[in-house]
Amino acid sequence: MPVLSGQSSPVPGPRRWAIGVIAAIGVALIVLPFVFSMFARAPKGASMIAGFRPYMTTARLDGNQREIRQINSGVHEATTTAASALASGSGHAAGSLAARLPDVAAFGSQWGPIDTSMTNMLTTIQSNLGNYDAVAALPKFTLFPWFFVIPGIIVLIIVLIAVVRPRLWSAARWVLIALGIGLILAPVAFQMFSRAPAGGRMVKAFQTIETTANVQSIQGDFGTIASGQGAIQLELVPSLRSAGLTDAQIAARFPGIVRLDNNWVGILNDLTPMIGAMSDNVGNYQAVAALPPFALFPWFFVLPGLLIGGLAFAAGPRGRRDQPNLVPVRNRPAAEGES
Amino acid sequence: MNYRHAPGFGRTSLVVGAALLATAATTFAAASTSATTAPKRLVGTFLITKGTNVRGAPHGSYFRMVDPGGSTTKGKFFSNPDSRAINKTFTLISPGTAGGLKTGSFQPAPSTAFDAKGDSRAKSIILPTNFTGINFSVATESTDAQTKIKVSAPSITVLKGKLSGDLRAFAANWNNLSFNQGSPKPNGTRPGLTAPVTGTYNAKTHAYVLTWASEIIGGPFNDFTGVWHLTGTFRAK
Repeated sequence: MPVLSGQSSPVPGPRRWAIGVIAAIGVALIVLPFVFSMFARAPKGASMIAGFRPYMTTARLDGNQREIRQINSGVHEATTTAASALASGSGHAAGSLAARLPDVAAFGSQWGPIDTSMTNMLTTIQSNLGNYDAVAALPKFTLFPWFFVIPGIIVLIIVLIAVVRPRLWSAARWVLIALGIGLILAPVAFQMFSRAPAGGRMVKAFQTIETTANVQSIQGDFGTIASGQGAIQLELVPSLRSAGLTDAQIAARFPGIVRLDNNWVGILNDLTPMIGAMSDNVGNYQAVAALPPFALFPWFFVLPGLLIGGLAFAAGPRGRRDQPNLVPVRNRPAAEGES
Repeated sequence: MNYRHAPGFGRTSLVVGAALLATAATTFAAASTSATTAPKRLVGTFLITKGTNVRGAPHGSYFRMVDPGGSTTKGKFFSNPDSRAINKTFTLISPGTAGGLKTGSFQPAPSTAFDAKGDSRAKSIILPTNFTGINFSVATESTDAQTKIKVSAPSITVLKGKLSGDLRAFAANWNNLSFNQGSPKPNGTRPGLTAPVTGTYNAKTHAYVLTWASEIIGGPFNDFTGVWHLTGTFRAK
């Protein structure tokens, strides 16, 4: 084994400034998830994605839109043609619906804004179906903080090895270069450049939907719809029967009302858990929205990757001009006094 | 015989005797106070009197649901169009197959808790009751179906005719969903409008009234509060 002389490291080691910057990037990668509270927020994001999954399908959302149209049709008939039929049957003016069946009339006047609100909400959700699918196709949110921490730890371990065992640097730098390339390629492999901005668009679109106030408003609307449907089924329809209409005549003349009543349980079965999912995910949504903009996420991998790879490449090994004492002792001419 | 009366002896005896008597009386009083201040557990079944309309007002046992931001006394209350009550914000309830709520043991829902429509199939405590088109019912389970927290069996105690208790196992089932309706909640807290179990009990007639409120945490009725009013007679085990 050659014996090396000199005060500085006699083997090809990294440039100190470069290794210092690489170490700083490693620390930054480890610290980043803590700064952005990713360990707390990312699992909430995963919960939100999982919580929305049953409702984020074209079939389901089309069904919800159809159900809103069914309610609309039933309410419209209840307050127009059915009200007129009642009025003509009893000799009352059509405007007397409020006096005869106040709950039905009240539902009729409340339904318009509810219809607009729910239809707009469902349209917004539906138009973000692709964005949701893109986010759901990303690696599990709970893994995200580790995508930073693990490379950061690897970088620090390699830097430590390079400092303690400089002769291993030439191998270690290739590991760093490979790690840098890995970080650059990861967002490409996960299609983050397209999926992450899609997630950002979904988060922005849900900004006005996933709020406590909006969810409570929907819960209130749900109560209004439930009471209103009950009034149609339990007050209006019996009144139509009392006015002399048979069930067959009611079905023929007011198909919207009959369809609403027949499908009401199905509507409850569909809408109730969706409202539950919206309510349960308000906190999760807010945690996700507090993360850095989704569009930046791929760059959180690419930039450190470029820096680590580039710096590792630039760091050396230092050439002979930088290392005048790298000549093994046994190859040097014997100095005076040496034996 | 001439007895010499020791000077002051009679007075001393009197004082000592009085002190002893006083001590004994205090001890007895304390013991009897302690006996009356110790709450007594009522283990058995709180038989439920069916909810009815009496002169247009709800009578017997019923349930109400307060909207978020409301008050348990002033509402706003959720209106159940399918309620038998004249005032639809009251949902009148009827005793189930066990006659009512058991303390000291659980009354779980069947293993298939719902039918295809989402109607609750639990019928031990109360009979399934229509709530906006779908039947709800209640059950007490050793593991709360909503929170998955293990809970103790319902417990009610009486002290000087006043009832208190722990009904954290009490849950309502509706539309394939379970909503804890206990007080305290399964984790022992009383969030929002959740109010302790209170009531009255007549030891002679066994007549009771039990009330409590439980805020719903999570799900479609998040932040709504169930207000429960059970009345009837207690039958000891």
